[in-house]
Amino acid sequence: MSLDESRGTAMEVGESGRSRLFRGQTAIDFYGRRRLGLAASLGLLVLTLGSLGFRGLDLGIDFEGGVSWDVPASSFGVAEAEALLDAEGVSTDGARIQLRSSESGEFVKVQVEAAEGARAEELRAAFAEAAQVAVDDVGVNLVSSSWGSDVTGKAIRALLVFLVLVAVFISIRFEWRMAVGAIVAMLHDVVISVGIYSVFGFVVTPATVIAFLTILGYSLYDTIVVFDRIRENEARLAAHRAPFADVMNISMNQVIMRSVNTSLSSVVPVVSLLLIGAGLLGASTLSEFAIALLIGMVTGAYSSIFIAAPLLAVLKGRSAEWRDRRWARAVGEPLRAMVMGGLPAGRRVRGDEAEAGESRAVADAASVLNHAPRPRRKKRR
Amino acid sequence: MNRRALWGSLIGFVLVVGVLLGVNLATENHPVLGLDLQGGVSVILQPTEEVGEEDLDTVRSLIRDELESLGIAEPDVRVEGTNIVVDLPGVKDQAQALDAVDVAGIVTLRPVLVCQPGAPSPELLASLSDGQAALPTSDGTQVCVVGPPGGTGEVFSRGSASPQIDQNTGRWLVTVDLRDDGQAVWNTLASACFSGSPECPSRQLAIVLDDVVQSAPTVNQPAFSTGVEITGAFSEEEVRSLARVLNRGAFPVNVEAQRVETVSPTAGSDSLRAAIIAGIIGVSVMLLGLVLYYRRIAIIVVAGLMVWGATVFSLAAFVSQATNYALSLAGVTGIIVAIGVTIDSYIVLFERLKDEVRSGRTPRNAAPRSFQSTWRTILAADLVSVMASAILFWLSVGSVKGFALYLGLTTLADLVVCYLFTRPAVILLASKYRDGRLIGLGVTS
Repeated sequence: MSLDESRGTAMEVGESGRSRLFRGQTAIDFYGRRRLGLAASLGLLVLTLGSLGFRGLDLGIDFEGGVSWDVPASSFGVAEAEALLDAEGVSTDGARIQLRSSESGEFVKVQVEAAEGARAEELRAAFAEAAQVAVDDVGVNLVSSSWGSDVTGKAIRALLVFLVLVAVFISIRFEWRMAVGAIVAMLHDVVISVGIYSVFGFVVTPATVIAFLTILGYSLYDTIVVFDRIRENEARLAAHRAPFADVMNISMNQVIMRSVNTSLSSVVPVVSLLLIGAGLLGASTLSEFAIALLIGMVTGAYSSIFIAAPLLAVLKGRSAEWRDRRWARAVGEPLRAMVMGGLPAGRRVRGDEAEAGESRAVADAASVLNHAPRPRRKKRR
Repeated sequence: MNRRALWGSLIGFVLVVGVLLGVNLATENHPVLGLDLQGGVSVILQPTEEVGEEDLDTVRSLIRDELESLGIAEPDVRVEGTNIVVDLPGVKDQAQALDAVDVAGIVTLRPVLVCQPGAPSPELLASLSDGQAALPTSDGTQVCVVGPPGGTGEVFSRGSASPQIDQNTGRWLVTVDLRDDGQAVWNTLASACFSGSPECPSRQLAIVLDDVVQSAPTVNQPAFSTGVEITGAFSEEEVRSLARVLNRGAFPVNVEAQRVETVSPTAGSDSLRAAIIAGIIGVSVMLLGLVLYYRRIAIIVVAGLMVWGATVFSLAAFVSQATNYALSLAGVTGIIVAIGVTIDSYIVLFERLKDEVRSGRTPRNAAPRSFQSTWRTILAADLVSVMASAILFWLSVGSVKGFALYLGLTTLADLVVCYLFTRPAVILLASKYRDGRLIGLGVTS
């Protein structure tokens, strides 16, 4: 009777793990390894919070203000200013160097995040020497932040409104447990990205903040694609009263190739920005975005599968609907068959593998109803 | 599915996008580039009197808010020494820049002695005592003699003024809230005017900005608790401009433009070129990978990405010209990420198609089914992105806003291209195939 089995065997299963991955025939037990992902992320989170506590974030000139020099530009240009800062050992990360011109002439405005009083005067002398002008002709000023607390405040307010609406949207479109999973995964991604900035001491600029916001959107997007597959499989397996572990394993194995492909194709342009744009062509501003984006895309894809889905499994496991379905989950070949479109075989009814030893009705009728496509006919004339 | 409708959608959409792109290129209607990519014009403002750091910070925030409410996007405003430096993207000439930053100015509240039509007569000017002034009204038809300022616009709470319509009479009015510490000042003035005392015989209280009487409402109650309502025979235009004046009232000090400078891009002139070169190489590598992996059907990704790119270019050109939202590096980031999201739509669809073909369907049969289930997924995921960008756009300021705008545009473009281009293209292409070679599967069975 079993159409599923016939379908499972009609198609040859790939020999190597790679070919199985390409063919969507993997049978990885994601559910069994759910604690691995959660534990790894917990470790990262602890590291992040520790680093944020001890080292904090290196905020750029736009957030903290800094010092500005106005150097008359005759022979002195933007490139010379950069070279001078490098030679003086002042970090040009997040520095802002502009050529400005007005009726009174051209000058280079160099703005750097941190330089204490005496250091500012030293640099002023160095700039004057390099530009061959008197020290008094180089103007020094303290610069305030341009990204005031009100910008941050408004952005946070917007985020909170967004979170609430997203939660409502996912709860309506899917269910509240998925909203919890998606939002936790998203927060996880943002926190980890911020953590990486803190650990490696990258300078946070407005560009970085934008990149973090992007990560947030990307993470949600990715999670929703994964959850959509879970919901579909839930419906498909509803009549079989399959445990959620099965639903999750099947869905994860089905979307893994899509996740790998999507991540690769999103990451390639960003890596190109980092290597070719910032590395070869030397546009260092690009690296600010690229690093944050790269981190975000990788964690975004990771968290959908290793944070959002396991969390959903935990929440589902406690719900009334799923609590009484604690059969042993399928692994190995039976799981592979289900990943490839089959339905649960009657195998577990024998109860020899079921943890609780319960028996349940065989859902043969449903599996017959949910039939495979009709074999293709010969082409009609 | 109706083949003719599919062809219609495919060809129609490509035509529309192509024509739009052609028109934009022909008229050189590019997206306006932001301060960091293209530079702009900078105005240096100086306070007319000595002020503390805190006041300068307040002025900085107020100026940015004012600029944004006037539709000038992503200005970079900061305090430098005792000056306020306002960098404006997308502004073409210096006069325009000066005009744009002319948003600061102290609003004063002065009791009105008398108002009369026409230009001020010499006798009137001669009769003015100390502290009094003869100021024109905003419509220029009247001259009001006003007493010395009794308070400034700081009595109103910041940003609280809004134009409204009286539900009963259908007339326009402005409501504005009083600050806790401004209430006493306002009420002193109001009670003097209400009682018609010698300082304020006309019972009118003038709201003055830049030596022009913006409005001179008659005070009809001696004391106000939290809010003030200003009514009169206003047009909508007048009400809006009055609300703007009241909102800017919180400037603690007057600032004047000192000089105007043109600014070079901060990101370095090569950044945009480097980003474009790197982007093109990256996207090409990615497309090559997709072609190797998905084989024939990947042609749709290549074509689809071009159509998407053209759509985004036209949208960006239109939006940045129409709204002053210049495309900054932040916007470019949004677009780079959007490429990833767009490609994902194809991958989700193709993976689904592969599954269906593997389980025995012909591509011809599987394509419409696959699209239907994929469309649901893409719609749900993209809607969240659109929602995110809409909320960020409405509620945030500065570069966050610019980023949100471009993320939203590109996501919408993804949805439109997916439905109007990818759907017909995939279904029509798949209808020619009866085995898995279409999507890089060997011939099964």
